Amino acid sequence: MRILVVEDDADLSRQLKTALTEAGYAVDTAPDGEEGHFLGDTEPYDAVVLDLGLPVIDGVTVLKRWRRAGRNMPVLILTARDRWSEKVSGFDAGADDYVTKPFQIEEVLARIRALIRRAAGHSSGELECGGLSINSGSGRVTVDGDPVKLTAQEFRLLDYLMHHKGKIVSRTELTEHIYEQDFDRESNTIEVFVGRLRKKLGGDYIKTVRGLGYKLSPPGDEA
Amino acid sequence: MRLRTGSLALRLILAAGAWIAIAILVAGVMLSTIFRDYVLRSFDGRLSALMDSLIAVIEVGADGQITLSRALGEPRFDQAYSGWYWQITGPDDAVLGSRSLWDQTLATIDVPGTEVVTRDGVGPEEVPLRVAERAVSLPGGTGRYLIAVAGDRSEIDAEIRKFNFVLAWSLLSLGLGLLIAIFLQVRYGLSPLRRIRQAIVAVRTGKAQRLEGEFPSEIMPLSGEINTLIEQNAAVVDRARTQVSNLAHALKTPLSVLTNEAGVGGAGLADTVKRQVETMRRHVDHYLARARTAAAARVLGARVPFAPVADDLRRTLEKIYADKGLRIDVRVAPNLAFRGERQDLEEILGNLLDNACKWARTHVELRADTDGVQITCTVDDDGPGLPPDQREAVFARGKRLDEQVPGSGLGLAIVREIAELYDGSIRLEDAPATGVRAVLLLPAALND
Repeated sequence: MRILVVEDDADLSRQLKTALTEAGYAVDTAPDGEEGHFLGDTEPYDAVVLDLGLPVIDGVTVLKRWRRAGRNMPVLILTARDRWSEKVSGFDAGADDYVTKPFQIEEVLARIRALIRRAAGHSSGELECGGLSINSGSGRVTVDGDPVKLTAQEFRLLDYLMHHKGKIVSRTELTEHIYEQDFDRESNTIEVFVGRLRKKLGGDYIKTVRGLGYKLSPPGDEA
Repeated sequence: MRLRTGSLALRLILAAGAWIAIAILVAGVMLSTIFRDYVLRSFDGRLSALMDSLIAVIEVGADGQITLSRALGEPRFDQAYSGWYWQITGPDDAVLGSRSLWDQTLATIDVPGTEVVTRDGVGPEEVPLRVAERAVSLPGGTGRYLIAVAGDRSEIDAEIRKFNFVLAWSLLSLGLGLLIAIFLQVRYGLSPLRRIRQAIVAVRTGKAQRLEGEFPSEIMPLSGEINTLIEQNAAVVDRARTQVSNLAHALKTPLSVLTNEAGVGGAGLADTVKRQVETMRRHVDHYLARARTAAAARVLGARVPFAPVADDLRRTLEKIYADKGLRIDVRVAPNLAFRGERQDLEEILGNLLDNACKWARTHVELRADTDGVQITCTVDDDGPGLPPDQREAVFARGKRLDEQVPGSGLGLAIVREIAELYDGSIRLEDAPATGVRAVLLLPAALND
């Protein structure tokens, strides 16, 4: 899962990036509305954390432009202003949820998880596929009840596939959603990660769909 | 109109009183003098007429004896000491007097020429007299005869006194009348000052935004200046409030950073930082809320349609509580409008609905209607409800009944604070089915 953080305060931006990265997300940051808008407009993010009080272009305008351009990723707005009129204008601009400053990072993490889950059409924090179970909140992965230890990259890959289980996910899509923007994307690294995941999970959860990409489904399903 | 030292009305009345007193005094003295002269002249005229009749009947005998050919037609000349006398003094000092003189003589003076001279004199028994004298030559006589006719002065004095009495009373009532007229005039003239005061009171108590009404051209500039001052003052207050709010909001980002940075550690220092940050956050929230509600105290009289505000909030809350899949129904009577500021209505309804959504299981319903003066608004949830003894506690600042449900704990306290600023109220009851019903009363704006 790849997330964009648009926040002008360098410390807060760093904290958000650290916390989100620890939670297993690939995180890009933008320090102002202009760059934020550009990134959100060109990269496929799974969620955006958007501060409303931004330099250059304010958050509400950025959000409106994205929505007008048909960018419909879930957006969590951060605002110091907690008047209802501001909440109304934020939601009317297309926000999906809001957090009022000052906040604790855990709250942002919880909201982001809920937004991503909702966007993927799942209602529970616990995603399951056959004997495989993943909790994006705690980062716990189990196969038939036994915990599996994954690296951050492996977790991200699995998390994305789980959110899109049963659907074919192309290699490009995977690359776009699990790597940060400035990450050196070697074409074959995805295959390496998929190979390691298959080994750690056992069974045949991740199928290769020739020429198209990968698909996650319970073992025994047709690819 | 109370009169106090330093009052304009008192100054005007005192000044007017002074010139009225002087004018009346001068007029009185003048009128009295004129009347006195007139009375004297007509008395003197009578005396010279009598003198003419006297001269006409004087006969001087060959021996120089003075006699009257017939009696004068004035009976008072014959009554002793009647105050009316005549006396003829011959060139040899022979004296003939009226019978009223008895054995007395009038003190006379030798008048030069032959003109009639009138003067004040004193007669027998020290009675003040008016005396007319004239020196004439008589046929058959030799030399000058001094003729004197005297009348009782008290007659004149009585007439003058009577006139002065009437004059004094009329002038006094005139003066009083003028004073009353001036009092009324001052009252009428200064009444715009009273109106401007009432207009200022209306501004101070928030019934009006500026001085309203037409004032006389002398006061219009003053009311203009006051309006400018009010606007300037409001601008300064607004700027200060905006800056306070900007400062408070600007502090929130650093507070977030500190909270989260401290959260990483967990040691003694981190704990202290966390506690202090929490205290700072409470201060910031408190003063922001204060600045907000202080703003509400200002302008009354604005008109905010109720339904659009409720609909905006419903849309927003449905997104905020998207996970719960709540149904939020808004039933607002048509044309319902709130008398106050939009922001305040948003804060009140937003916090009430938010609170209801937090506790509701599936359904929140807002209803609002009016009797023309007051809006009655109810917000029902179908949550677990609240025991009666805890219902007041939720309005206390910083009070949260469930620390698990997010919120600053200011929500319902703010609702009550704003509602009371508008002379409204908020209370909690049992909802008809399950859950809590909030009953909100607010002033309605009249239909246009």
